[in-house]
Amino acid sequence: MAVIDFEFRNSIIQKDLGNTLSYCYQCGTCSGVCPVAQVTKGRYNPRKLILNSLLGLKENLLLGAENNFNIWGCTVCDTCDEMCPQNVELTEIFTILKNMSVKKGEAPDYYTTQAKFILEHGKAIPLAPAIERRREQMGLPKTPKVDKKEIRALLKETGLVKIIGSLEEEKKEGVK
Amino acid sequence: MTYKYFFGCVIPGRLPYLEASARKIFEKLGINVSDQTQYSCCPDPTGVAALDHKSWLALGARNLSLYENDNSDVLSLCSGCTETLKAVQHILNNDPEEKKEINSILNKIGKKYQGNINIKHFAQVLFENLDLIKENIIKPLKDLKVACHPGCHYLRPSEIIQWDDPFEPITLDVIVEALGAEPVDYELKKDCCGNPLEKSNKELSQKLLLNKLESIKKAGADCIVCVCPACYQQFDFNQRELNKNLNTDFNFPVFYLTELIALALGIKGEEIGLKFHRVRVNNLLQKIKILDAPNK
Repeated sequence: MAVIDFEFRNSIIQKDLGNTLSYCYQCGTCSGVCPVAQVTKGRYNPRKLILNSLLGLKENLLLGAENNFNIWGCTVCDTCDEMCPQNVELTEIFTILKNMSVKKGEAPDYYTTQAKFILEHGKAIPLAPAIERRREQMGLPKTPKVDKKEIRALLKETGLVKIIGSLEEEKKEGVK
Repeated sequence: MTYKYFFGCVIPGRLPYLEASARKIFEKLGINVSDQTQYSCCPDPTGVAALDHKSWLALGARNLSLYENDNSDVLSLCSGCTETLKAVQHILNNDPEEKKEINSILNKIGKKYQGNINIKHFAQVLFENLDLIKENIIKPLKDLKVACHPGCHYLRPSEIIQWDDPFEPITLDVIVEALGAEPVDYELKKDCCGNPLEKSNKELSQKLLLNKLESIKKAGADCIVCVCPACYQQFDFNQRELNKNLNTDFNFPVFYLTELIALALGIKGEEIGLKFHRVRVNNLLQKIKILDAPNK
């Protein structure tokens, strides 16, 4: 049986990003306009994700990356919050839930891979010699090099370095 | 205020031919845009924000501080970057506490966010200079039916983007029409292309792409026009794979808006690297006499 966790619900509502959660009256407009809900025949269901957040049913939400129909099915297309008659900012609420899911080590690998590239190179796509040659052939300037030390210092300060570090640790322990 | 480019990660690092087309048309139109070399990943509104919202805000604010320091507005070549930078500015300018916290983080690297510049998507700048484009057209794109794909972050969240209509977008169609082509309407025009799920959930991502392509086919379009490199890759790079997986036969050339404009302005196909497209564009462009037919 699912356990109601009011702390969980409050931790969403108390954030600036999530304070519109309590306006939801479950009309279902979000699920009706969601392109992912359409292709999954309603199994990915933003209305239900909001309901579970409202009720504090944490276990129904943070299910891990293998589950196609939880928060990680969201494409961030911003259609649901655009249409919501109560101005519930669903995409922002899903961002909070995704951030929580990351801390539980549940994010799909792609997200951490991208962040590691940014930490290392300052950009999500590292310089590739073939592309540099192509740029030169096309008369484009060399790809500028970002101050990597500065980016790393910034992301250390925001805590991202730590988040990625602990996810790496977990993975290593999982292998053992 | 002058403009400085924000190319983001994907275009310079993977699709430099799109960068070439953008630089060439702005130069040809006489719109002065210079380079800013120290920006990082915007960061990705569908990636880094999901990982850690605060890091997303801080990196975005650092990028904005660079342009503020240069006294320049941002001209962004990517819808994702545009959304991130506009959203970061919106959040920080409306939340003094958040702004204070982010500035105390930026202070550690000797930067400061102020929040006093304009951030524009390149298609907005082009739309605002439509007369200039019309005056410079050398080769009108006659007999070309174009399905415009605005994509999500060119439009939404409308409260933050403040440009075009979130559900009945028209600006791209107006530009395409000015080039002499015929924009076609289609049912799923405002829908997501599916790119953000490409790496984490291929099956869902392809289903979204399939819906879009079917809708575009039904409308009788010859080609697709994008204004975001993520959408561009989804349509151009993944069409063949979708055909293989789902036994379909889609063959839509996919253009960046800057490429179509470049062709209409008389810039040669070789100069903008049309050969790098995955779905071949030559047959279509020869058919409408924009490129010369091959010698037989």
